[in-house]
Amino acid sequence: MSIRFHRLGKSDEDRMAMSRRMFLMTTTMAGITTNAMLSSAAFAASEVLTEAQSTSLLRMVQDIYPHPDFLHLSHYEAIAMTVMTNAEADADMAKGLTDGLDQIDAKAQELFGVPYAKIEDPDAREGLLRHFQHEGFFQGVRWTAYFGIYDNKDVWPLLGYEGSSAEHGGYIDRGFSDITFVPEGPTLEERMADVQS
Amino acid sequence: MAQFDLNDDSVVVIIGSGAGGGTLANELAQKGVKSVVLEAGKRFDLGDIENDEWAMFQKISWLDKRYSGGGWHGAVNHPTLPTWLVKGYGGSTIHWAGVALRFKDFEFKTRSTYGEIDGANVEDWPVDLEEMTPWYEKAELKMGVTGKTTGMPHLPWNNGFRVLAEGCRRTGRSDYRSGPMAINSVERDDRPACQQIGFCMQGCAIGAKWSTMYTELPRAEDTGNCEVRTDAMVLKIEHDDQGKANAVVYADKDGNQHRQKARVVCVAGNSIESPRMLLNSASNMFPDGLANSSGQVGKNYMNHTTGGVYAVLPEKVHMYRGTSVAGIVGDEVYHDAGRGFSGGYYLEFLSLGLPFMAAFLEPGNTGWGRSVAGALENYDRMSGVWVLGEDLAQERNAITLHDSEVDQYGLSVPIISKTPHNNDYEMTAHMYETSAQIYEAVGATDVYELPAYPATHNMGTNRMHADPSKGVVNAYGQAHDIDNLFVSDGSQFTSSAACNPTLTIVALAIRQAEYIAQEMNAQNI
Repeated sequence: MSIRFHRLGKSDEDRMAMSRRMFLMTTTMAGITTNAMLSSAAFAASEVLTEAQSTSLLRMVQDIYPHPDFLHLSHYEAIAMTVMTNAEADADMAKGLTDGLDQIDAKAQELFGVPYAKIEDPDAREGLLRHFQHEGFFQGVRWTAYFGIYDNKDVWPLLGYEGSSAEHGGYIDRGFSDITFVPEGPTLEERMADVQS
Repeated sequence: MAQFDLNDDSVVVIIGSGAGGGTLANELAQKGVKSVVLEAGKRFDLGDIENDEWAMFQKISWLDKRYSGGGWHGAVNHPTLPTWLVKGYGGSTIHWAGVALRFKDFEFKTRSTYGEIDGANVEDWPVDLEEMTPWYEKAELKMGVTGKTTGMPHLPWNNGFRVLAEGCRRTGRSDYRSGPMAINSVERDDRPACQQIGFCMQGCAIGAKWSTMYTELPRAEDTGNCEVRTDAMVLKIEHDDQGKANAVVYADKDGNQHRQKARVVCVAGNSIESPRMLLNSASNMFPDGLANSSGQVGKNYMNHTTGGVYAVLPEKVHMYRGTSVAGIVGDEVYHDAGRGFSGGYYLEFLSLGLPFMAAFLEPGNTGWGRSVAGALENYDRMSGVWVLGEDLAQERNAITLHDSEVDQYGLSVPIISKTPHNNDYEMTAHMYETSAQIYEAVGATDVYELPAYPATHNMGTNRMHADPSKGVVNAYGQAHDIDNLFVSDGSQFTSSAACNPTLTIVALAIRQAEYIAQEMNAQNI
């Protein structure tokens, strides 16, 4: 079974709010074009990947968990660096990765006539990657990206997660029951009354 | 702590230190009955607890080789992690969330209530709610369960449960509350009140939640009547010429084997390891495994019919703030064949941290891409439930042994097979629909349906039955075939019921301890 998205979509109002936010994000990002992001110096030097393969890898980790409005390019670069560092230490992994990236590019040429990283439509790029999702190299990159984003304490605040609380005395005085759009829970007196026979 | 000689054949040997084994050890120790507890994992204490999902998973989980089999999605998506259990001092009471519900009366009488069901192997328990009520009360007092027995109020409601509760109210439901939980809402029994830390399933960092790790086990050790040996993996239960259990062979952390003599042996290694031990203990006298004349050892594996539902709300919820299971909805726990399935189910508010949400939102190779990433961008506006309901016993759902592969102890690797019954598909559809309606009533924009997690509730593989041809143990967990061999964990369950199993395991262990002490005094065992 896979994730099912429910029948109710976002309201028009939400969508408009979202596009306003997207607009603002895009504006602040102005000047940082995709090509500028992809030719970042960090990826010129790799012992196992060609420059084209490094470019594909960076595109791939962004397509696996795309959060353009929440994460910075540097988060994805760090993940790609981890993948490359791991590959440098393991010849089999390196071969799996380079072969895999070449296969992705070959498939991209076959379907779209351009290398994978040059495909402009994100849906098309994801669709292309879906061909490879059961391959070992793909899942290796995917899980590296998973841990680099969702198990990364530096990223948590960007996605609204606060993590460990025991050292702060828990959440009992830090908003465990602070929302206002639904009624409050029962008072201590009401909870006491509920358990008196 | 006492130390008993390996040749001391007067001791009760208890295998496992969780809800069943840990409780049994302390109950026997308080009565002056001497025991040796063999725990496969290592010793943990509160200092080992971290508020970190993956760090704790790596630290405490039972990660010995196991395979998922059968038709459930986990056979593909969790091929080597069929269950989510703990290996260590305290067993899975470190990991449990603290939900302490009793069975309903009809859930002890499933065969009488549901009738015969095609493809299932449903039977009645040899005990009922009336018999179990005083033992449930003892368990609630021991564990510190919020509610009428202790008079301890249920916990305050957190954000995530308030959203669920409001949805329940708006859809006309009435049975939703923040208990019963075995989590202190006030200081009690030398343990502090809950501070809404969250991470209940990574182990309670302050000991507000009941766990045998810091209650039953150290208290048993303090009596001088109980020795807990950790890093002691049981390989085999041995018997004498009369067919009485008389010793347990185990490997220590260096792989050295030891043989502890025993007057009584109690198996409490959870519903995977307990039948596995009995099967691995096959002998000339018992070629199909110990206590297996019924052929039911390892069969009727039940782990609840479950799924997850997460809803995206219009405003921030921060569901991770506070207890992990912060509230329980009981309105759907009844049997009505008109719903298209037998048995009932609970909705339990359950928060996941971001790491686990990202791993389980869509498990398996396909859980990436724009849809998954987009959903996770809503993480701080989510509230969700774990839905769990009656899982019918089926013979084909079973623990079997791999015919060639062995683990680090040289024991055949267990294969845990689970194929849902049609009843499960009908119930799951109902659960998802109900949950979605509740959350939509409170303004949810998206609702995500998650398949079952690796199983934490494992039951039924050494089941109770009044008839020795249909079950492994009698109403006291005593093997029909071997008087001094007991099953003391959830594997003795005849049916799964809808509720979390721990309270019933503890109640049965307290009751079993009385029986064992009485039978030892009478020299019957």
